[in-house]
Amino acid sequence: MCTIVPISLTVGANRIVPTIAIPHPLGNPSLTLEEERDIRRNLVGRALRALETEVTEQTVFEK
Amino acid sequence: MKLELGYIFIKDIQFAETSKVENGTLYVNKEEVKALILEDQNFKSADVELAKPGESVRIMPVKDVIEPRVKVEGPGGIFPGMVSKVETVGSGKTNVLKGAAVVTTGKIVGFQEGIIDMTGPGAEYTPFSQLNNLVLVCEPIDSLKQHEHEKALRFAGYKVAMYLGELAKNMTPDQVDTFETPTLVEGIKMYPELPRVAYVCMLQSQGLMHDTYVYGVDAKQTISTLIYPTEMMDGAIVSGNCVSACDKNTTYHHLNNPVVHDLFAEHGKTLNFVGVIITNENVYLADKERSSNWSAKLAEYLGVDGVIVSEEGFGNPDTDLIMNCKKIENKGIKTVLITDEYAGRDGTSQSLADADVRANAVVTGGNANEVIELPPMDKIIGHVEVADVIAGGFDGSLHADGSITAELQVITGATNEMGFNKLSAR
Repeated sequence: MCTIVPISLTVGANRIVPTIAIPHPLGNPSLTLEEERDIRRNLVGRALRALETEVTEQTVFEK
Repeated sequence: MKLELGYIFIKDIQFAETSKVENGTLYVNKEEVKALILEDQNFKSADVELAKPGESVRIMPVKDVIEPRVKVEGPGGIFPGMVSKVETVGSGKTNVLKGAAVVTTGKIVGFQEGIIDMTGPGAEYTPFSQLNNLVLVCEPIDSLKQHEHEKALRFAGYKVAMYLGELAKNMTPDQVDTFETPTLVEGIKMYPELPRVAYVCMLQSQGLMHDTYVYGVDAKQTISTLIYPTEMMDGAIVSGNCVSACDKNTTYHHLNNPVVHDLFAEHGKTLNFVGVIITNENVYLADKERSSNWSAKLAEYLGVDGVIVSEEGFGNPDTDLIMNCKKIENKGIKTVLITDEYAGRDGTSQSLADADVRANAVVTGGNANEVIELPPMDKIIGHVEVADVIAGGFDGSLHADGSITAELQVITGATNEMGFNKLSAR
């Protein structure tokens, strides 16, 4: 999970889940705590799905 | 747009009853400067110190370095949009106290300010050891938040620099250099046979006190745009950065941007210096994509053959650098990048966080991870105890005798990515 996908690609990560921003990858201080929780749940869910997915090349999980 | 920079060479700085410039000496009334700083109620105390080349003095933690300048003719004032009104600067005449600087200090973040040694091996790494420095030691009120402290100190620096610059307003300069940028159409006609070159100047804009301001606007809220190089000489771009000291661009760097000066020196001889594109380094991926799209688009629109790109900072800005490189190269325009390296203490690690085959012409300011030894100094201006926490320092950096073992990145300006530093390969 990371914000700057090009760096993840450069260093050779296999499964990449794009996140919000460098200082706050799994949240957004401009939102309410409830909205932030939704973001976090969504991203963690996506990361778990990525781990369950077989990949044959570097893959970015946009959804 | 045409600007005449009038240099008044300063060879010494002293405290005196009356602030003035006389025979190459900058005389400063300490109390007037202190009063100027304390106009801001965010400071509970202020002191002013002198640091001259060759003295056994260590200044830390350093926030910014600012060169005193004053508008003599032409619209606007120095630091437009910050202190002076938002008037377009960069034309007419500006006088410069060349050889003098205002250095602001204070424990804002603690680990993101730097060191300037005025003598010894540390002095070799920073250009600011060669200046006659007026050092501002400003202590904030107890309740002041870090970002408010940063802002207050930033403005204290500008105000004192402008106060000193004002002393030179009616003086006849020792030397006058003229810089002129014609319109695009005129420029094409003037040197049709020469390669057209632009400069992409990347501005630190990560937020959380990693900020640069353009005519008073926070650069992270801007989109890549064009600026006359002479606007930069009048302080249109200023640093609000609390970030690793070695490769941040201080306000002094922006005023004296060596890429701009060198391109002007070659203008009409080996190349046609078309202009400057400024772009930012934000923390959202979409911002990085958008800003680099725009710098590439503007380079294409200017019809240039080549572009020099300078980075500020390291880590994720390496991605902005590589995006600018890739996208500009994809327009059929050659690029040369100026950066520095975090290649580990032995220099064998990957230098940048990002890379691309098109980044095949790169100039480095040096390896910021290299470990250096700084001997004790007779006098410390500021707070020496931050040596253990400053970026590049570590637990045990500060020794009992006052000497410091740390990475090169602790020194202000040491691996500057505009190429302002003095390091070179063996």
